[in-house]
Amino acid sequence: MNNIVKPTLVLGLIALVASMALSHIKKITYPNILKQEKEKQERALAMVLPGYAVGDKVTVKVDGGDFSYWPAHKDESGAVKKAYAFITSSTGYSGDVVSMVGVDEAGTILGLSILQQGETPGLGARSVEVASKNTFWQTITGNAKEEGEMSPWFQQQFTGLNGKNKITIIKKGDWDPSIKDELLSRNAITAITGATITSRATIKGVEKGMDSLAKALEAASQAAPAGAQSITGGAR
Amino acid sequence: MKQYWEELTKGIWKKNPILIIGIGMCPTLAVSTSISNALWMTLAATIVLVCSNILVSMVKSIVPGHIRIPIFITIIAAFVTIVELTLNAFQPAVYQALGIFIPLIVVNCIILGRAEEFANKNGIIFSALDGIGMGLGFGLTLTVLAMIREILGANKLFGLTLIPGMEPSSAMIIAPGAFFTLAFMLCGMNYINSRKKE
Repeated sequence: MNNIVKPTLVLGLIALVASMALSHIKKITYPNILKQEKEKQERALAMVLPGYAVGDKVTVKVDGGDFSYWPAHKDESGAVKKAYAFITSSTGYSGDVVSMVGVDEAGTILGLSILQQGETPGLGARSVEVASKNTFWQTITGNAKEEGEMSPWFQQQFTGLNGKNKITIIKKGDWDPSIKDELLSRNAITAITGATITSRATIKGVEKGMDSLAKALEAASQAAPAGAQSITGGAR
Repeated sequence: MKQYWEELTKGIWKKNPILIIGIGMCPTLAVSTSISNALWMTLAATIVLVCSNILVSMVKSIVPGHIRIPIFITIIAAFVTIVELTLNAFQPAVYQALGIFIPLIVVNCIILGRAEEFANKNGIIFSALDGIGMGLGFGLTLTVLAMIREILGANKLFGLTLIPGMEPSSAMIIAPGAFFTLAFMLCGMNYINSRKKE
């Protein structure tokens, strides 16, 4: 009997102490985690829709799942330009690669920002890497150049591509400004070395999101043309 | 005094967890792609290791022998979750970069291994010193491995390019490179140790 009661009590006690400690830590860190998430989302919105006034988030059902997008607009020489940002995800090497994409009405990608990924450090996780152009020697000898705000090179190369057409992958190593024109003309990105699956997952996410966005917008315009107008014009 | 020093330093060379005992290979191979990953991993794993060693050594007298493993795992998992939440709240960039390998510290055999092998049999101070020493040994091995792999595989050090325009060997950054480098390090370690004995 003692062989059953004592171990149960000890294990139960330790589990109780552990869960109490964890719930306390969670309570301390939770507001900060929420704040980080919110800041991350705001930063991502500003990054994928540069210069646009972003409206409120709209969540609709598309193909049985929830799909969220943000309508946005900006005035450009008198004409109002509309754009949309959406969150999309696709299975990568380990877990989902969740990204936010901004597109204008023609389907041109204004920006892409990966919000969440669990890919292999050094390989797929380089999809969020910010690469400095300074070399190691320049930095330790104090000759580093000011680089200002830098954005991750892998995500940056999506800007300007057409999301409505197929985005292809070419293997050219790390992105460099010198290959930008070639990539744009072929509607392609250069994959992360050793992480083609992650690169492909990001593209698949864009395709899936573009598809859902088209459906969501179509449904919105059919259901209530006036209502759809007020969504995009509401932020003014 | 000498014994304290011994418990602290044995993890660095004589009982190096990776190169001599041969445990904790999975995070070693996976995270050693860049020095900054290696250093953050070391910090996270060492904090968990020291805390779990201390706690295991504290509760060892009330823990019934046959259910010690679930109890150790509960303790370790609690500390890992604390580290994970803290990193997520205060170091989101590190949390992003290490991703899945932070929760996977739970199954890092070094931590369970030391709890079972050492902290379960020794006092609190010795266990803490053992944890620090093993963490240092783990970190040092990981850093050397990561340095070699980052230089050869990405042509970088601390994320900064070394030789502009040179194409790095990407084999070094993927799994085979980790195995090769680790094999050479093991070989070198054994060579030095076998020379010492003679």
